[in-house]
Amino acid sequence: MRSRTRTRLGRSRGIMHDVNALSSGDGLYRAGSMGTMFAFIPSRIFKQGYFMKMFALSFCLGISMLLLAFGSLAQSQPPTFPVRPMKLIVPFAPGGPNDILGRLVGQKLTEQWGQQVIVENRGGAGGTIGLEAAARLPKDGYGIAMGGTSNLAVAPSLYEKLTYDPVRDFTPVINVALVPYAVALNPTVPAKTVKELIPIAAKKAGFLSYGSSGMGSMSSLAAELFNAMAKTDILHVPYKGTAPALTDVVSGQIDMMFADLSLIKPHASVGKLRAVGVTSAKRVVSSPDIPTIAESGLPGYDISPWFGVVAPEGIPKPVVTRLNTAIAGSLKSPDVIQRLGALGYEPIGGTSEQFTATIRSDIGKYAKIVKTAGIKADL
Amino acid sequence: MIETFNSLMMGFSVAFQPEVLMYAFFGCIIGTLVGMMPGLGPLAGISLLLPATFGLNPIIAIVLLAGVYYGAMYGGSTTSILMRIPGEAASVMTCVDGYAMTQQGRAGPALAIAAIGSFVAGTLGVIGLMLMAPTLASFALRFGPPEYTALLLMGLFVLAYMSGGSMLKTLAMAVLGLLLGMIGIDVMSGYTRFSFDIVELGDGVGIVPVAVGLFGISEILLTAGQADPPKVQQPTLRQLVPTKADLKLSVGPIMRGSVLGFMIGIIPGSAHIISSFVSYGIERRLSKHPELFGNGAIEGVAGPESANNAAATGAFVPMLALGIPTGPVTAVMLAAIMVHGILPGPMLIQQQPDLFWGFVASMYVGNVVLLVLNLPMVGLFVNLLRIPYAYLYPCILAFCILGCYSVSNSTMDVWIMLVMGGIGYVLRKFGFDLAPVALGLVLGPMLELSLRQSLAMSGGDYMIFLQRPIAVTMLVLGLVLLGLALKPLIFKSKDWRSSVGLDENVD
Repeated sequence: MRSRTRTRLGRSRGIMHDVNALSSGDGLYRAGSMGTMFAFIPSRIFKQGYFMKMFALSFCLGISMLLLAFGSLAQSQPPTFPVRPMKLIVPFAPGGPNDILGRLVGQKLTEQWGQQVIVENRGGAGGTIGLEAAARLPKDGYGIAMGGTSNLAVAPSLYEKLTYDPVRDFTPVINVALVPYAVALNPTVPAKTVKELIPIAAKKAGFLSYGSSGMGSMSSLAAELFNAMAKTDILHVPYKGTAPALTDVVSGQIDMMFADLSLIKPHASVGKLRAVGVTSAKRVVSSPDIPTIAESGLPGYDISPWFGVVAPEGIPKPVVTRLNTAIAGSLKSPDVIQRLGALGYEPIGGTSEQFTATIRSDIGKYAKIVKTAGIKADL
Repeated sequence: MIETFNSLMMGFSVAFQPEVLMYAFFGCIIGTLVGMMPGLGPLAGISLLLPATFGLNPIIAIVLLAGVYYGAMYGGSTTSILMRIPGEAASVMTCVDGYAMTQQGRAGPALAIAAIGSFVAGTLGVIGLMLMAPTLASFALRFGPPEYTALLLMGLFVLAYMSGGSMLKTLAMAVLGLLLGMIGIDVMSGYTRFSFDIVELGDGVGIVPVAVGLFGISEILLTAGQADPPKVQQPTLRQLVPTKADLKLSVGPIMRGSVLGFMIGIIPGSAHIISSFVSYGIERRLSKHPELFGNGAIEGVAGPESANNAAATGAFVPMLALGIPTGPVTAVMLAAIMVHGILPGPMLIQQQPDLFWGFVASMYVGNVVLLVLNLPMVGLFVNLLRIPYAYLYPCILAFCILGCYSVSNSTMDVWIMLVMGGIGYVLRKFGFDLAPVALGLVLGPMLELSLRQSLAMSGGDYMIFLQRPIAVTMLVLGLVLLGLALKPLIFKSKDWRSSVGLDENVD
């Protein structure tokens, strides 16, 4: 018996020993695998002595950073808003302007506050599914969403069964950017300006056709407003999304399209498309040579699609202000200006109240356009 | 030619930079893993990874995403073959014969042929892309809605060749697919159809949840319904390697699939999905043993798998040559470089030669990486089949739900998948073939939209289809295919169906 216990003990000790060996070996193994993964980091970093030193150093550094952070906290107002990660809903699939702007805002907030802002794409039904989800977020400011003209200002008059009310269910935080639209013609259309385009389009009903990213989309509304104001009857060919429609304008299957200027410009620069006018009331800063439609024959024509951050209704006022200040500040930073500038987007900024006013007035404006164009979608 | 060679060398010098190479590897591995997740396809993979590329430089971003893209194309075949769960629409056809091979204990050869076919198709595709991108792209632009309609009609006619069972049942299933495709907002009018006030149905029924449900979930239910648990397979090493006969049978389908897939892939739009269906139909028609299709014919794996990988590469042609995103996947990839302030357009190749040639070179590298990565893994993957079903199936079910949910963070997709699983179970009990449902669902909305777009363009005049040479050619071709398929039905002559004992009454 005794001997057996001893052997057992011995064995267990042996195992203990093995465990130690394993764990240190495990460390080495990990270091090895990391070494192959990050081959560009010199392997000596993973040697233990060196590693310990590095660890100690970074630990000290971390502590001092923390102290510094607390120091600055003590100076500012005591209850600071984000104490945990936040969520930003982008109500469209990745890749479009809404997504690009949403992620930019998320990244900037993360940099400023040190709290992760998780961007969640909830696409579908023209951006209304994502906003519906956003309206139901807790009213603490930790969940915000990137809305736009389409789902905040157009949707109420387009969809009879919209499940949210853009005015009642949201607290507008800040209007982020204007994404300029322009009208692009296939070069075979014999018009160099909007002035020349109107008589050609008016000559015969259905002589020209325009593509859009879908019935009731911003691009179709811009075209329908054009039709109504210029008294033309340009034929509507809807597509599923901007890209396929623009492809068919480039190839000449259809004659023209109202679309995001940043997508038109590369084709216009090599003569595959002709950008004859921008849809906003003022010329676009990045393309000052393209006249507005309003100044070339249709005074008062204005489609200015914007994208802005909204939060659920009823979040505390200080939180709104803090979000607004942070985003407004980042819109003035050089790298944001440069990144937006490259795409031709124009930062807007302003206060929460200004954004509220924009949403309210645009709801009225698009209600009229939708009514004149006779578009209705029953969602 | 020399210029191309020099540019390619420059491309390789970009692609072989350690950092780029590392991300290409990384992308392929992530892609393979994502593709193996049931329900998660290339689009979901690169959408999920897109934000992570914003901090990288544009070349690395696009190399990484491209790696994920074709990695997922490879990976998608693994679950289709082993578990009958299509990772995305393009691997639906692989499920049919691939899984049948698995049940016969030939999962190894099926996986190996899928990997080899994908490699050949991918490499041929890159060569095509490199040599002919601008020419092909201008050809692709001649595809407007009328041509598209004709192409899709041709795809629909291929249905007749898809199933071995009763023609009536095949058509019934295709109609079911087309009907499912009607659900959602009508793009032309903006009205919602058959959505029963469920907002999530506004965008229609996705192909992924339907395919995973019909094929994967129904298989789990069927297995659960058997009196005796299926025997756990113990594959030996010899069974893992394709035989000489397998390879010989696969050469034709792989080459045909590659060319066909590439040609369909360069056409703007989502037509690339049908490449694998068309390839399957053609292989079945050309085969000397069409009765083997559906029961583990290796050609039925080789053809569609090659076609879908070639199509994946083909889709890059208009994207790079014209800067036009031709489908959702390429749109996300262009977004990845737009974020860096590069506006994609017709001048992309001239203005960003590093980007283009680096990308092309990285695709050669990526294809080799995937082959090297996947062939030895065949053994590992096949060993998954050793797991007793009592443990394997709950895991698969969990992964299916997870994968379906994460595509668009929608619980509705999960419900669709589960309901379709139930429907699929019942239909299979009655001997219906389910692949036509998937084809119908894919084709229906596209066909409807392009038909109505064509008519909108012509002001309601059907002559538009006869005035355009490409459209006419394809319509005639489609009608010939249809005629050949209908001939035995009309003339009551015996075709292969009856000669091999597959009659209306026999299933």
